[in-house]
Amino acid sequence: MTDHFPAGDFPAGDFPAGGGAVAAAGDRPASDVAAVTARFGAQLHDAGVPVDPGRCERFARAVTLMRPRTRAELYACGLATLVSGPDQIEIYDRLFAAAFGISLEQSVPVSAAVPVGEPGPRDGSPPSATSSAPPPGRAGAALDARSGGPGDEPDPQDAEMPWRTLSSDAERLADRDFADLSAAELLQLEALMRQRALATPSRRTRRYRPAAAGSRPDLRMTLRQARRTAGEPVQLARRAPRLRPRRLVVLCDISGSMEPYARAMLQLLYCASQGQAGRRAPGRGATGRARAEVFTFATRLTRITAELAAARPETVLARAGAAAPDWSGGTRIGASLKEFNDEFGCPGLARGAVVLIISDGWETGDAAQLGRQMARLSRVAYRIVWANPRTKSPRYRPEVSGMAAAWPYCDAVVSAHSLNAIDDLITALAASA
Amino acid sequence: MSAAAEDLQGRFPDAAALAAALDGTGYLAGDALATALFLAVRMGQPILLEGEPGVGKTEAAKALATGIGTTLVRLQCYEGIAAAEALYEWNYPRQLLAIRLAETTGEALRESDLFTDDYLLARPLLAALDHPGPLPAVLLIDEIDRADDEFEAFLFELLAESAVTIPELGTRRATVPPVVILTSNRTRDLHDALKRRCLYHWIGYPGPDRVAAIIRRRVPGASGRLAGQVAESVRRLRDLDLNKPPGIAEAVNWATALGVFGDSELSPASAERTLSTVLKYSEDEEAVHRVGLATLVVPND
Ligand SMILES: Nc1ncnc2c1ncn2[C@@H]1O[C@H](COP(=O)(O)OP(=O)(O)OP(=O)(O)O)[C@@H](O)[C@H]1O
Ligand SMILES: [Mg+2]
Repeated sequence: MTDHFPAGDFPAGDFPAGGGAVAAAGDRPASDVAAVTARFGAQLHDAGVPVDPGRCERFARAVTLMRPRTRAELYACGLATLVSGPDQIEIYDRLFAAAFGISLEQSVPVSAAVPVGEPGPRDGSPPSATSSAPPPGRAGAALDARSGGPGDEPDPQDAEMPWRTLSSDAERLADRDFADLSAAELLQLEALMRQRALATPSRRTRRYRPAAAGSRPDLRMTLRQARRTAGEPVQLARRAPRLRPRRLVVLCDISGSMEPYARAMLQLLYCASQGQAGRRAPGRGATGRARAEVFTFATRLTRITAELAAARPETVLARAGAAAPDWSGGTRIGASLKEFNDEFGCPGLARGAVVLIISDGWETGDAAQLGRQMARLSRVAYRIVWANPRTKSPRYRPEVSGMAAAWPYCDAVVSAHSLNAIDDLITALAASA
Repeated sequence: MSAAAEDLQGRFPDAAALAAALDGTGYLAGDALATALFLAVRMGQPILLEGEPGVGKTEAAKALATGIGTTLVRLQCYEGIAAAEALYEWNYPRQLLAIRLAETTGEALRESDLFTDDYLLARPLLAALDHPGPLPAVLLIDEIDRADDEFEAFLFELLAESAVTIPELGTRRATVPPVVILTSNRTRDLHDALKRRCLYHWIGYPGPDRVAAIIRRRVPGASGRLAGQVAESVRRLRDLDLNKPPGIAEAVNWATALGVFGDSELSPASAERTLSTVLKYSEDEEAVHRVGLATLVVPND
């Protein structure tokens, strides 16, 4: 057993330090700290304290920065980051005592005293094993990325850390409907989301790269190489077109009924873009990690690509919601899609792209307009994938007016209503036309 | 990491080191407050301090600036405060002067010549953003609950970006983002979005022991005994239902006044002489006389 938080368990990372004055660069929380802080945050949230993922993350950063050695220090970290009013202190005290032990007075080393929650029944099967076998071919590359590299192995040294017992929690959440997750629980899924790569099929670019088995002879290269062999072209250099993953364009419905799903999907996009940013896309062959262009809509279209690269998804979503004046004013999918087609999609953004529309298809505007705009979009897009959480029910029929109009133009419809259901989405995005 | 950040990290490796620096300025912070301020500095996150009047919210910001050895920039909020008072104004007299000067010399003056840094009056928020460093300034936004919603929203933007846009000059981004401390007396609830951005600490009224310790820090001549007596009497006064229950400042004032009168101990008689330093309303004084000063003063020996 370790007596203290082993300092070595907090790897230096590249946490985006919110523009802080003196925020140290190396304070990215280790994933197990993130799990415990998120779990404690979830408990507070469920007890009525307004703890959101942002606060959980800040708590995790504070813990990573302070490396508390005593309960009292851990208590102070949580108090500063999770509580936001005097009336919450009592609840915080109670839950802190329940989670981390009572005697704040004594300088008891934290980890010796922290039976952080009961070590719940471990779910033997990781979520990736639950879904059916991935289809062969292009989808394989995307799914490979999920199993994680050797760097993801749990460190045997911290196997006994109380933080550890909680990772199975996140796995248990993976099957729950996003709408049933609290904000803090959703945050717990981040680590798993980071392991998902959103890949799209490749397209050829006009540029060529040298390739031994390329289809075209590369004359210039052949001549250059020939200089080395006294002008005699011994080898014919070949070249092949450079491959690039197709652009992924996401249109996400943020109207009231879609709110929990939108939150989850933006978090997924955020995690996927951050996840293994340093790692190369697997195989660089048929599929590759796509950079996503992201838009939200309810009654108006908002482009949030840049925001999502710079800020956490909750923040972006809150801003997008604030920017759309009538949040509860229904969903005008067709009108939003028209705006997209006119200004972005048809002029170029959607050309050859994989377009993902996330919506329950509840059109409060004109369904016929939605049909027309889908037709326009389908003429320029490579594929259109529609993620509709309502389709999780096997009895679902596209009778909602909007969905019925859009259905004929979709290349795939998936539910994407839980983390485990995301795997179907990943497969659909990676499929070729 | 910048040299200044390294310097801060070196001087204040943990919350205890910061607490010691605050103590050095005469401000006694408990562990929780010291931790919250430490995190605010190190995480570059604004912090909201709430508490009853007189518990040391404003003083905490001042002590932090002095403790880490940097500039304090203070914005006192009030009802109706607007960007012009908080952020910047154009120096119209100076612009007019420039126009007249140009007229007399016959020089051509374009409008853009008049809207440059030379004619900009930086108010606290801009001054804090423009602070050249090397250490970040401490920006105290005092009593934010007095300002109205719109101002809060404006402030939120500014905090989120650490930058402001001046139409004539473009976007000004802080080179060294300030450590931001907001205070509120909770006369109204602040907007969730603003609270969500902030670390938080509720400064409760301290127990008599801490009040006595504060008195001893602030009133050098006060004996431990006198400080203890004053602290205890203030506690008893706070249990009465007064219009304005005495706070820490009143306790400090009381001990100071007793010193001025040469009283080395608190007795009903010396309390009577100095009561006006503790109570602000005559109704409150009457209420105290009704229960009797003797019951409020710890008996001698
Ligand atoms: N922890 C402390 N250590 C030392 N002095 C303190 C402390 N807390 C308060 N004081 C004293 O109390 C006085 C009042 O504090 P301050 O003005 O900061 O209170 P405040 O919370 O800002 O009140 P208000 O809401 O009325 O503005 C200070 O001048 C200081 O002398
Ligand atoms: Mg004050």
